[in-house]
Amino acid sequence: MRTDRSLTWLVAIVVLAFVAALPMLYPGSYWQTLGLITFLFVSLSVSWNILGGYGGQISFGHGTFLGLGAFTTAAIALRTGIPPWLTIPVAGLIAMLYGLLWGYPTLRLRGPYFSIATIGVGEATRVLMINLDDLLRGIPVLKEVVRFRPLTGGASGLTLPMPADIRSYALAYYYGAFAFMLVALAVSWWIRRSRFGLALLAINMDPDAAETLGISTSRYKVMALMVSAFLVGIVGSLYAQYFLFIDPREMFSFQNSIAMVLMPIIGGVGTLWGPVLGAVVFKVVEDRLSTARLMVGSLSINLVQFNLLLYGLLLVLIILFEPGGVLGLIRRIGRSKLSLRISARFRGWV
Amino acid sequence: MTVQDLATLIVSAILTAGLYATMSYGLALIYGVMRIINLAHAGVMMLAAYMTFWLVAVLHLNPFLAPCVVVPTFFLLGLAMHRFLIRPLGSAPMIASLLLLFGVWLIMQNIAYLIFSSDTRSIFTQYTLWTIHAAGIPISFNRLMVFAAGVIALISLHLFLTKTYPGRAIRALAVDPEAAILVGINTSRMSMLAFGLGIALASLAGCLMSLIFSFDPDFGRSHLLKSFCIVVLGGLESFVGVALGSLVLALVEAFSVMWLRAALQDFVSFALLVLVLLVMPNGLMSLFRRRA
Repeated sequence: MRTDRSLTWLVAIVVLAFVAALPMLYPGSYWQTLGLITFLFVSLSVSWNILGGYGGQISFGHGTFLGLGAFTTAAIALRTGIPPWLTIPVAGLIAMLYGLLWGYPTLRLRGPYFSIATIGVGEATRVLMINLDDLLRGIPVLKEVVRFRPLTGGASGLTLPMPADIRSYALAYYYGAFAFMLVALAVSWWIRRSRFGLALLAINMDPDAAETLGISTSRYKVMALMVSAFLVGIVGSLYAQYFLFIDPREMFSFQNSIAMVLMPIIGGVGTLWGPVLGAVVFKVVEDRLSTARLMVGSLSINLVQFNLLLYGLLLVLIILFEPGGVLGLIRRIGRSKLSLRISARFRGWV
Repeated sequence: MTVQDLATLIVSAILTAGLYATMSYGLALIYGVMRIINLAHAGVMMLAAYMTFWLVAVLHLNPFLAPCVVVPTFFLLGLAMHRFLIRPLGSAPMIASLLLLFGVWLIMQNIAYLIFSSDTRSIFTQYTLWTIHAAGIPISFNRLMVFAAGVIALISLHLFLTKTYPGRAIRALAVDPEAAILVGINTSRMSMLAFGLGIALASLAGCLMSLIFSFDPDFGRSHLLKSFCIVVLGGLESFVGVALGSLVLALVEAFSVMWLRAALQDFVSFALLVLVLLVMPNGLMSLFRRRA
């Protein structure tokens, strides 16, 4: 098992080194943007996994944190003119507080009921945010907040000012997102080894037994939600800063919440590296499919929608046959006779 | 607001409630018998809407005959889903079946995107603009027929569940699965039947809704949430409860228009869902029971 673990770390280090050197190896905005998006989605996947994977509370409402993070950054940067990156902690905090607001009541619900409630929270938040400006205009005191600048921009979205040197700005955010991904991974790794992580694991396995052992289940669940909300809020903030345009319909969309559920479950829920694997596969497959077109005779079919179809299919297969996800599958292959035979053949080489 | 306006609002809420009850009862039936939260409910409603569109717009079938084709088709689909997806799960935790059916929903939705594109469709028939005036209250003929179809379906289902052997067996299964096995009920076949019926009801709701609302492949999500709201409000597995829950939601929605802008109407039902889950997880009926 020891060599197995050091092998994982070796692979991780090689991949990370490659990713860090990518802008030098392949200059150009395509790879850089794909890389940055992948870092952001890996961070989302890892953050969701803290509550959903370790704690076993499947949340369909994490899109709210992504949107709130993005719009907090936009609201502050547009009003005060301070550099957007200074707003990152505030974006995280606002998302965290929102997590406390809806997590505290809803996490008292058990398993599937919590999931249903989070769908409701996500949808309600989106409807509210799209109409937020119009709503505030109707309230006497709060009218002043949106007098000169909108908060969410309603149906038209918000645009952030363009930086002077767009190239170095983009490169800086590439490494910024990369660094943040490492932070999210470190948090996830630390939580898994800590008492906190053990408590979450106990809650996941048997909430009643955990309660009997003296674990305050609701407190730990709310804490896990807050940590994951904080991280997701920062991802939202980084997204807004890099793409400079945000639309409430897109930022708060159900699709984002779905992506955060799918990535860790497909990669390997409740593990450290599974969500990373799931997110990378998710983004790369999506990117390939979004440009590909299937030609059937004279008919040209756009494959964008094929992405989620594929993931729906994968989800069904994973629940039915391999609850450990892709990582579980890899481990299963790793333990099989085939791999033993292959490694026996290569033993003389090492 | 005049008395007549109020009456119009209430009549329209009652008509909506009939439709809501149709779409929620399938969810409640499947949950009651199998403890499965059927997220594919939304996908089934959407596919049924497209099938109705196809039957009416392409094959020029009378829209009110469409359910006769749609419902049996989806009943068979439901049986197949149970055989190949639900039964292999065995006694896995509830969250596994929730995620599995969520995957099925994603598949249905994206197949629809591939085949039908994301354009919004609506069905326009010779009945769409008909209105009947009863005591000065305008009633859309279409909505009235949809209401009638829903109520007839629910009453016949209720009779099936109370008067026939398979119906009673299904109810026995909902009350106590182990006792049901002990008295010799084929639980596996009965839960398959219940799942088929639940899917069939969802397709009926989708079929009826396609005659009133416009739809796209994302259709059904907000209705799924409304169904949850109703099912939780009404208390699970109770026929009267579902009817009551539908009426409450329809009335709340209708009257919220008076002091909330229309764009926020959906917010009411979503917020109500979360609120109801938190405040009275056992539903409206628990209020009466507590007093008794």
